[in-house]
Amino acid sequence: MSTSKETDLALVARCREGDLGAFEELYRVHAGRLYSLAFRMLGNPADAEDQLQEIFLSAHRKLESYRGDAALGTWLYRLAMNQILDYVRSRAARTGQLTDGLDDASVLADAWGHRLADRAIDRIDLERALAELPEGCRAAFVLHDVDGLEHKEIAQMLGIAEGTSKSQVHKARLKLRGLLGRG
Amino acid sequence: MSCERQIERIQELVDGTLGAIRRSELEQHLARCPECRALKDDLERIRDAAAALPVMPPPDGAWLQIAGRLRQEGRVRDLAGASGGGVRPYVWLAIAASLVLAAGLSIAVLVRSTSGPASGSGDSASSGNAKGTATVEAVQNEVDAAQEQFEKAITKMDDLRKGNMTALDPQTSDVIEKNLGIIDRAIAENRAAVKAQPASVAARETLFEALRQKVSLLQDTISLINEMRKGNNAAAAQLVNKS
Repeated sequence: MSTSKETDLALVARCREGDLGAFEELYRVHAGRLYSLAFRMLGNPADAEDQLQEIFLSAHRKLESYRGDAALGTWLYRLAMNQILDYVRSRAARTGQLTDGLDDASVLADAWGHRLADRAIDRIDLERALAELPEGCRAAFVLHDVDGLEHKEIAQMLGIAEGTSKSQVHKARLKLRGLLGRG
Repeated sequence: MSCERQIERIQELVDGTLGAIRRSELEQHLARCPECRALKDDLERIRDAAAALPVMPPPDGAWLQIAGRLRQEGRVRDLAGASGGGVRPYVWLAIAASLVLAAGLSIAVLVRSTSGPASGSGDSASSGNAKGTATVEAVQNEVDAAQEQFEKAITKMDDLRKGNMTALDPQTSDVIEKNLGIIDRAIAENRAAVKAQPASVAARETLFEALRQKVSLLQDTISLINEMRKGNNAAAAQLVNKS
């Protein structure tokens, strides 16, 4: 995050006083990153927008607890991730969807059978393929390969073992090779 | 598939976590196995493409929804007047009024001096004749001069507006910005039309109508800011309803 601890704390203090302009400032700095996370985790813009609103409303309620131990961006990112995961779980419970479901054998067969074309990977194709991943491995992949988090942090956030995070990212890459290789 | 047991090593190589000995063994395998080499290359490309995905801009209306809900729940207040910088409201209004007056006068001069001859000759620019060319040039010069005055006035008013928009709630502010954007596009289109047809009275009138609209919107915005600063919500509401 580019903002210093002092700047973060000063901004949060203004938000706590109910200053809407200060909260808008906070929103303008962080909304893009959090919307991207929500979009990639949820796979569609409507859910991502709804969750973005919930994230910031929840952040506003919880700013009282912000002490500056972590950068404001990191604090918001964790809060966003929890919000999104809660939503994913409730959506899965509603629809009866499994949150994982990548069968190792089929992933491998798919990955071996499809090489990527000899050109740069198109961003839109990658976003589309990401949306097709099962939620469990999509989450680990987005956090690790897109947002650059370590497996240890991902394991804490997702409540899984570090080794599971690693294997989810690996499965996701293989699955993406299959999806992108089909052209 | 004999290479299957290499996949985990390839993934670790892509992650940069493979130890030196296993890395060396894998590199020997990759040197003689095109399938595994292709897999390694593809996984690296996927990793790199994922890391390069850009931050996406949030949807336009998202902030307004959030701000609206915070207001509904009574958790925020707009700090109107908090950053006034000591300038009294009547000063804003006086400046705005004088700028509008100056711009208005220049239109009056332009309309008096150009509409007669131009309407007499219609919209067809007389080409190939010296008198016609001189008239077109004269009209163009007057249009340019009036436009310049208008634009100076608009720039000053716009600077005042931009420096004080925090007095307005974000929703009103967004509506104003959108309307200014629409007027700016109209001005640009009409300016191009005047350039293409300098003798066209209709083109000039439409351009100046767009400029007048911009002045009027800026004037209302500055008045609204003043009323908000004074805490005069009733007058502010009247202005919003008017626009």
